[in-house]
Amino acid sequence: MPKRQCEEALNKLFEYIDGELSDEELLRIGSHLKECPPCEAERRINEKIRLLVSKAHTSKAPHQLRERVLSTIQMAREESHHST
Amino acid sequence: MSDNTNLDFEVEALSYMDQLYAAALRMTRNSADAEDLVQETYAKAFAAQDKFTLGTNLKAWLYRIQTNAFINSYRKKQREPKRTDADTVEDWQLAAAAEHQSAGLASAEEQALDALGDNTIRDALAELSDDFRMAVYLSDVEGFAYKEIAEIMDTPVGTVMSRLHRGRRMLRDKLRDYAAEQGIRDYRAEAQS
Repeated sequence: MPKRQCEEALNKLFEYIDGELSDEELLRIGSHLKECPPCEAERRINEKIRLLVSKAHTSKAPHQLRERVLSTIQMAREESHHST
Repeated sequence: MSDNTNLDFEVEALSYMDQLYAAALRMTRNSADAEDLVQETYAKAFAAQDKFTLGTNLKAWLYRIQTNAFINSYRKKQREPKRTDADTVEDWQLAAAAEHQSAGLASAEEQALDALGDNTIRDALAELSDDFRMAVYLSDVEGFAYKEIAEIMDTPVGTVMSRLHRGRRMLRDKLRDYAAEQGIRDYRAEAQS
């Protein structure tokens, strides 16, 4: 039943995109997507949102934070040497 | 612990600082708190170094420490209503509108998404509640598996899936709203020129 295949594909779409499906499910849903343009369109949109979210979030730690963390670690290291 | 293993731990742990900072920024939504959170995370991680088994997932371990620290310190300060964990697998399965859009709408949506700037994406994500935002961030930006997200957020995998499903649904709706707003602004600007 085509409609049931669409339902399964759409319900499992996030898992498909997130790489969380078994090989068997991956193949089954993958082949449905090849044959069903509307389902494939849904996949493209959700895939695109994932990509946009990923792309929008690259931040470098501020320089002063690096220094703060390094000195925190240094202190922790000194403390552990003194206690041994 | 030998000096070499200490060094391995340190080098690898520090290599995640940019990512931890980016995640902290998303959680706390301001840079001063984000810096404090990252520093607290490293302080805790290094104090608990002995509890970490070398060779296991250090990145997830650090994220777990940071997420806990956030929940314990920062979330208390924010006046956010506590979400109930009534998120079950059935919940999101029912919520899934397993329907197609028309091809025209799908194509329009894709184009509208392409036109959105990074700021807009970040703003939309910032509007989600903590649990949804965190789940989406850990999956989409950091690429953690559901099982790893479950460890980091200390919830069952089913809850992670529910949060992802609902969070992404909300995000998509918000992006549609932003795109529509932008479309109206563009239309008005053009009408006036």
